[in-house]
Amino acid sequence: MVLSSITVNANTCPLCPENFRTETFLDCDLCGCSTSSGSFGFGTLSNANFVGVRYIYQSFESRNGIFENSPKSEETFNTYQIWAQVPINNKFFITANVPYQDLTRRFQGRNENLNGLGDISAIGWYKLEFFKRRKLDASDVNYNSPKESSGHSLQFGLGIKLPTGKFEEALTDNVNPGFQVGTGSVDGIFSLGYNYGGDRIGVNTLMSYYLKGENKNEYQFGNQLSYSVNVYTVFSTDKMNIMPFAGLSGDVYDSIIQYGETLADTDGDILNASIGSELAIEKFIFGVSYTLPVNQNLFGDNVESIQRFSVYVNFAL
Amino acid sequence: MKLIKYTFALALCALISSCSSDDDNNNEDLTGQTGSVVLKFDNAVGDQDFIFGTTYNKSNNESFQLSTLKYIISNVRVKDSEGNTFMFPVEDNAFIINEEDGNNAGEIWVVLDNIDAANYTEITFGIGIDQDRFALGAEGQGDFLDMATDEGMMWSWAAGYKFVRFDGTFSTTSLTDEPLNIHMGSVGTSLDNYKEVTLSLPNTVLVRESKTPEIHIVADISKVFDGVTSVNFADGYDQVHTDAQKTPVIASNVQSMFMVHHVHND
Repeated sequence: MVLSSITVNANTCPLCPENFRTETFLDCDLCGCSTSSGSFGFGTLSNANFVGVRYIYQSFESRNGIFENSPKSEETFNTYQIWAQVPINNKFFITANVPYQDLTRRFQGRNENLNGLGDISAIGWYKLEFFKRRKLDASDVNYNSPKESSGHSLQFGLGIKLPTGKFEEALTDNVNPGFQVGTGSVDGIFSLGYNYGGDRIGVNTLMSYYLKGENKNEYQFGNQLSYSVNVYTVFSTDKMNIMPFAGLSGDVYDSIIQYGETLADTDGDILNASIGSELAIEKFIFGVSYTLPVNQNLFGDNVESIQRFSVYVNFAL
Repeated sequence: MKLIKYTFALALCALISSCSSDDDNNNEDLTGQTGSVVLKFDNAVGDQDFIFGTTYNKSNNESFQLSTLKYIISNVRVKDSEGNTFMFPVEDNAFIINEEDGNNAGEIWVVLDNIDAANYTEITFGIGIDQDRFALGAEGQGDFLDMATDEGMMWSWAAGYKFVRFDGTFSTTSLTDEPLNIHMGSVGTSLDNYKEVTLSLPNTVLVRESKTPEIHIVADISKVFDGVTSVNFADGYDQVHTDAQKTPVIASNVQSMFMVHHVHND
């Protein structure tokens, strides 16, 4: 069974350059508002369908100014989300994500907090499963026997991210515009995944492109390419399955466009390494992952991703 | 199956409609509208924010630190995308940029009000006071003369304004913490060191009734000594006052120290 699973990976939100009143020239959609991106994973390692809750912790360090010796601020993003993967039939399914964002930035002893409903996203998927070839043996006349899965499958996803999180224009002035619970835009999501699930080893890969819309403030976060590769194995006992995994993930961001012009130092990229595990007991799947950046160049190096951590509990449908 | 097709079709429609760009503000009528612009002057040394008392290295194994850093900006004007120039009213168009006046981010703000609403792509300003303004006489300087006097930016009326004033100390391979004073200006009407700088803006500055864009200008102080021409304290550039040879060199170096780092339209 199995076969298709979608990548789980930790998060990525590097971003968010923070700036204060003084400097607001860099921003990106990494922050809070994009914790639904593909590099965070859309589902569980092993099983296609579930409903669950996930918590993501991310920390960043950002330069509040334009100079090498400008003061740094620390950002902490807590994301609580309800997520689900719901089947429609044996070829189609939907993933959805409803996040609540709680963002804090600490600068020169002062804390700023922003929280609220984030941007809801949903993706419709078509799953193409590959089956083992039947032997062309004349003696095998039982054409009704079920096709045997090869373990390989492809997924094609088409989705949308809605501006349910509030984009506050005032913040683009006072605070770094990346410090937002939502982008204020309708974004398109295009995904392609390849999964292999064998007896002992599974591989999940996923690539997603986010076409960002312009919000009502004529502000458009940069388009984004997210990718992830995870490899997992399975240890089974009578009562549970333990599935440790390790993987790489990353994001590449285009520049932000405002009033029809590209803003300098608002593009960037990051590559992350993750380890984690899932534990399946009966219908419950418990997951944990830890992510560290391997290489990053975010927004003119004004923002540095420090680490990410996520835990989730899913109930298999 | 139909449900799925409809779902996808709907999603696709939403995408296409949401991602089309609508440049609907091209025919905006700006007639009669005015707005403000903030010039944020930010003194630096290379890629470091300038800080008083910090020792900075320069060429020739020399170093310096400053306790006073001031310069005069005047004749600020902006050019829009159609080539029209808006000159800020001349009588109010002279400013002293004093590092001591910086906010906690080290920025010295100059707020220009009543600028014609337009899309500006270029800014020009002078460093110091031009001969036309000086020719207006002491009476014609308005409040600026008193301000400059209070700030120590005047020699005397006859000699005129100090365009830049850098006070501090310097060290060379053989000297340590000797006084450094760079007081460059025109000298009456006999020596004209007024220079202008024109900078293109990295993004269009949209001046509107409801928007106050900011232009963040970085002044790299290291260029004063290592700009168009590298000068050495050991060669007499530790004391620059009214000298007809040295002041034009400093004036050209100062002219080269400005750049627009970015603009904000929010």
